[in-house]
Amino acid sequence: MASTLLFLSADSFHASIWQGGKLGAPQYFSNDADGREQFSLFLKRHRNQAYMLVDVIEEDFRLETVPHLMGSARRDLLARKFEQFYRGSPFRQATLLHRQEEGRRDDEMLFSALTNPQRISPWLDALLANHIPLVGIYSLPNISTPLIKNIESDHVLLLSWEKDAGLRQTYFNNKRLHFSRLIPINGGSDAFSESVASETPRTQQYLKSLSLPPPGEVLDVYIICHTSDRVALQTHLEANSDLRYTYLDIQELGKRIKSKNEYTSSDATPLLLHLLAATPPSSHYANSDHTHFHLMCQLRRLMYATAATITLASSLWSGLAFWQGREYVAETEPVNMQTERALQQTQLIQRSFANTTVPAADMKTAVLMARKLSQYSPPPENILRDLTLVLDNFKQINVVKIGWHPSAADAAPSAYPAQVITFDGNLAGFGSEYRRALDYLARFQLALTQRGYTVTAEKMPLDVSSRGIISGDIQSNSSSAQFTLKIIWRQKE
Amino acid sequence: MSFSKDDLPFLKLSLGALALSLALAAGMITYSDSYLAKSQQARADAQKHLLDARAQLVAAQGDQENMSSYSQEYLSLQNQKVIGAEQRLDWMEGMEKLRQQGFVLDFKYTISPQQGYVPNPPVEAGNFQLSRSNMSMQIDLLHEEQLLQFITALHSQLQGWFMLDGCTLTRATAGVESTPLKAECSGGWFTMKNRNMP
Repeated sequence: MASTLLFLSADSFHASIWQGGKLGAPQYFSNDADGREQFSLFLKRHRNQAYMLVDVIEEDFRLETVPHLMGSARRDLLARKFEQFYRGSPFRQATLLHRQEEGRRDDEMLFSALTNPQRISPWLDALLANHIPLVGIYSLPNISTPLIKNIESDHVLLLSWEKDAGLRQTYFNNKRLHFSRLIPINGGSDAFSESVASETPRTQQYLKSLSLPPPGEVLDVYIICHTSDRVALQTHLEANSDLRYTYLDIQELGKRIKSKNEYTSSDATPLLLHLLAATPPSSHYANSDHTHFHLMCQLRRLMYATAATITLASSLWSGLAFWQGREYVAETEPVNMQTERALQQTQLIQRSFANTTVPAADMKTAVLMARKLSQYSPPPENILRDLTLVLDNFKQINVVKIGWHPSAADAAPSAYPAQVITFDGNLAGFGSEYRRALDYLARFQLALTQRGYTVTAEKMPLDVSSRGIISGDIQSNSSSAQFTLKIIWRQKE
Repeated sequence: MSFSKDDLPFLKLSLGALALSLALAAGMITYSDSYLAKSQQARADAQKHLLDARAQLVAAQGDQENMSSYSQEYLSLQNQKVIGAEQRLDWMEGMEKLRQQGFVLDFKYTISPQQGYVPNPPVEAGNFQLSRSNMSMQIDLLHEEQLLQFITALHSQLQGWFMLDGCTLTRATAGVESTPLKAECSGGWFTMKNRNMP
């Protein structure tokens, strides 16, 4: 995605288009009505997101130790500090450098601000008027940190030359920005070498006054320069026990940060602009009013992404549902065919039935029921045959009365009703031989039992139990040799 | 970050896209879910129809088996006039024929009004309504064998199914009564009627 990179220095303002890792040629705009008009026209043609890099003297840094707070308390504290330090500028920021490891574990913060807002406002107004999504307003020291990422030293003074601004000296302590100063330079690369040579010791003196680096440690000075300027720099600069110079080849740096531009001089402006576009820091000087259109763009992008996600997710959902539905349809086809076959077979069978109005199931019920009920009233021969055969062997037993009736209560273990025969008879020809008569009757009962009957004596010819009454009248005894047997006949399974 | 009405034109396309995607998603999901539910229901219906068809087939096969196994016996019951309305005239005529054949010395009978019949122990009657018209008989006999012959003839010669419950045979007191044996028999004429048939 293309971006518009704006560079503002004390004396100039220019814009470049950055796309695919390559920075285009700068277009300069004068700080007057015509320049601003031209800038507006430029913005109308290039509506990309914009980054503004500011490299001016009027940037103030303050190191402060503040209590470690969270949430609204922290916001209130920072707002108070901003009001205290930079009341007149809306371009301000606070960066946490370090949290102390002892005591209250306070936060060491770097407060900084662009203290001359009038220098920025005309260009910012044009951006806002044209609804350009401004990502942020950055200062050059802000964005330099990635350049010292691979440097081992804890005390680094990074020197860079921006053609339109001057010599920038930025001190990093433990890779965290501590302070920065800009020295305007008039002239070409020779002036750059001379300025480095003259200004670096001054900065070193200032740092020494702050005990930076601590005594015994070396200040590593890294100078971004082109190969062609290196010799001149080496001529002017002389290392000592407190100061060590290292030269960072601008071309090498460009390759390291994947810049596709060729750097033909020590001017670090295009390199730093590329760095800003490639890895913009999260903190900057713009507030939410300044970045309103960028936030709107982000919101718009978020909504497009959400819409795309919803469409994709719903398409997937629907696709899965359709796929599952087609599976069901595919599974339904053979089931329907099986159903059709079963129905055809059923019709075929039903057509083969005899022409009758009676359902076959009813026929079966009627026949089975008739078979069963026929066992409920067996022929009298079946019931009485064995009894008759036994009677033939017991001639001294006369039948007085015999009857039978069905009894479901006595059926068990048979499934059909039992037939209960009530047999009233008497014994003849025993006279007073009671014992023999009773034995005879007992044998009769036993014979019936052996034939499968269940026999119970309901009335005996003579009651010889302890409960009975016995009289000695012979006549009476002979006439009362009557007995009643309950004989149960059951169906054989 | 704050928004105002002025921001709406800036966001209208993305808002429109979001609304369109929501509408599209709702439409697609509703339609696809409806298709899924319908196809699932169609499968469930098809499976139910298959089960029904299989049950019908099994029933038809059972019917086929029943037809061949039981149709003869069923026809016999129909011919015997056991199935359908009771035929009292047939019974009366049959009893008179028995009387004329002289199986016994004499007999009297009484047929009671028809009643519903519940066998004990119970049997599975299906669609059939079971009825019985109880009949009691007083029979004069010369000897016991006559009773058996009479009962056998009653079963074999008369149209209908007489269920003999039981009899009581009493030997007459010699010289007092004209017949040596008297029998009191009870039973009932059994019929069954299909409730589903006219």
